[in-house]
Amino acid sequence: MRIAILVAIKDLRQRLRDRSAILVSVVAPLGLAFIFSQVLGGATDFHATYVVADMDGGELATVLRRDVIGSLEEAGVVTVIDAPTEAAARDAVEQGKAGAAFLIPVGFTAAIQAGQPTSVDVVGARNAGLATEIARSLAQRFSDGVVGIQLAVATVADLRGTATTPSDIARIAAAAAAAPAAVALVDREADLRQLSLPSHFAASMAVLFLFFSAQIGMVSLFEERRQGTLARILAGPVRPTTVLFGKTLGGFVLAVISMTILVVATTILLKADWGPPVGVAAMVLGAVIAALGITTLVTSFFHTAEAAGAANSAVAITLGILGGTFAPTNQAPEVLAVVSLFTPHGWFMRGLGDMHGAGASVADALPSVGVLLLIGLVTGAVGFARARRLVTPR
Amino acid sequence: MPGVVLSARDLSKRFGAIEAVRGVSFEISEGETYGLLGPNGAGKTTTISMVCGLLARDGGEVTLDGAPIDPGAVAAKAGIGYVPQELAIYPDLTGRENLAFFGRLYGLGGAQLKSRVGEVLELIGLTERGNDRTDRYSGGMQRRLNIGIGLLHQPRLLLLDEPTVGVDPQSRNAILESIAALGRQGMAILYTTHYMEEAERLCDRIGIIDGGQIRAEGTQKELVALIGQRDEVRLSVSGNAVAAAHAAGKVPGVVSAAARGDELEILVDNASRALPRLLDTVETSGAHVRSVELIQPDLEAVFLHLTGRALRDAE
Repeated sequence: MRIAILVAIKDLRQRLRDRSAILVSVVAPLGLAFIFSQVLGGATDFHATYVVADMDGGELATVLRRDVIGSLEEAGVVTVIDAPTEAAARDAVEQGKAGAAFLIPVGFTAAIQAGQPTSVDVVGARNAGLATEIARSLAQRFSDGVVGIQLAVATVADLRGTATTPSDIARIAAAAAAAPAAVALVDREADLRQLSLPSHFAASMAVLFLFFSAQIGMVSLFEERRQGTLARILAGPVRPTTVLFGKTLGGFVLAVISMTILVVATTILLKADWGPPVGVAAMVLGAVIAALGITTLVTSFFHTAEAAGAANSAVAITLGILGGTFAPTNQAPEVLAVVSLFTPHGWFMRGLGDMHGAGASVADALPSVGVLLLIGLVTGAVGFARARRLVTPR
Repeated sequence: MPGVVLSARDLSKRFGAIEAVRGVSFEISEGETYGLLGPNGAGKTTTISMVCGLLARDGGEVTLDGAPIDPGAVAAKAGIGYVPQELAIYPDLTGRENLAFFGRLYGLGGAQLKSRVGEVLELIGLTERGNDRTDRYSGGMQRRLNIGIGLLHQPRLLLLDEPTVGVDPQSRNAILESIAALGRQGMAILYTTHYMEEAERLCDRIGIIDGGQIRAEGTQKELVALIGQRDEVRLSVSGNAVAAAHAAGKVPGVVSAAARGDELEILVDNASRALPRLLDTVETSGAHVRSVELIQPDLEAVFLHLTGRALRDAE
């Protein structure tokens, strides 16, 4: 153990003098987390500007403008501008002043009251996909409602055996459109077990780059072999496995230090909320062991530092993508959410998320910690056994 | 009578179809410097690697002060200092840090470690540069540190694998003097080299190794005596030296003849008797003799005698 610690301390001293290690372990993840959170941090705060050209001015056109589109305006989600003509509305969209335009044609109300087909044109701005989609959905919802009411009113009239006047239809349609939904969908963010975007990117960049820093210890074996120092160590009173253990220990300490720096730095600089400190410590420990295990296993298949480094990088990036480090898995197709469970990255993000939300506690993260430890111990044991060939006399 | 420190018996090692070492045996006593002299590829580094447990042996036995040395013999290896042929130092650590790291591996610590690091830096002439990173050292300074690391823990046996390869003459001289001093202090030394002059200068006994086998062993005097009363003639020629050597080898009284550049190294039973015909044969072969030198037999001549090749040609 004494010699393993000596090797680990020597490695750490070398890594601290090697600025590239600090760059990979701390600067790069911190920088990327900062950039991602700044660029994408406002993605959830949707706001759009719509322009409405009401050329009809009738009762149902007013319902659409005031009650349907206006409800979003009241919620603060959109800003609505009224245009005097369709051309003015189109111009506003073309000039980027609005994300989408609602064009309500002349005779809109009359057509509905007569049971005739009519339409609301939605003109979307270039590169305003989400704003346009929401505008289309609003128009579609209104249209579906009108068709449903027309059908219902006609059915009732048929059953009564009396004719229905256009004013009756308009009155019923307006009342229906203005009525509150029978089932209300409430988004209680506090109950969602997921990280805020700054926290997500802080954690995801940390675990992504953890796989780069964790490999440094084991890959340095090849460097020691190339420069002859490995043979010199092994010629002394040292067991070969002690050298491997020392390398792993050095990698472990470096990874824990870099993760700790990242947790503290992102908490202070990015206002990231990692969760309860004890739970975060357990998650970090699990992730570090998983990263050490996997990088040891990958390294054991190669004979040069370059090949091992490239393979470890490829594995880190692939697992990172599948594990949802670049985009939260709850925003990805379901299959990706399932695939992420085959990666330590996915379990790391899941474990941190499990500690958030109402009623969540450190205990909720323990299954993820367990999976991470299992991944690390299994891959590490196989990798360690295979890596013995790197230090065993031939 | 000094005791035997290292005993290597019947060592053998095969790499696939190549039999790198075949039945090599030798002993080194306390205070004795034993040289393994042979060209590159002769089996010197393979032998030294088996002695310090870096290579698994296919056969044979190594003992240090009677204790077996195997790859798993951790404690026994503490008595060995190993200086590899290639530099084996950390370029991003200082000379002092390199020494301290390897010293700690061998169990040194505290005041003893500090004292030994200072002594070794003094011995290798790097006291002033001890706190500099070694990638800022000259090649000669790095070589000296490479040797210093092997001496740090004052081993019973020092293994030096061609420590002067690529070293400038001045540093080389300093290194050889340091090694000679260690031998005088009682350290057992195994020194491999393909430089005849180094073997002659440093080694008490020499094993001439070629093709993985020790072809002869003894003091320099004993080895030269193997040639008997033979003489070595060195001819400087112009023209086809190889053809001339081939022709010279057929002259009666010539034991062996080899071409090295523009020179022919010829071992003869009696130089005065063979020389006239030898010169005539060389001229007839198409080469022109520019000078003739009759030299005292040395280890080069011994190697030529034993293997039929000049030592430097065999590299």
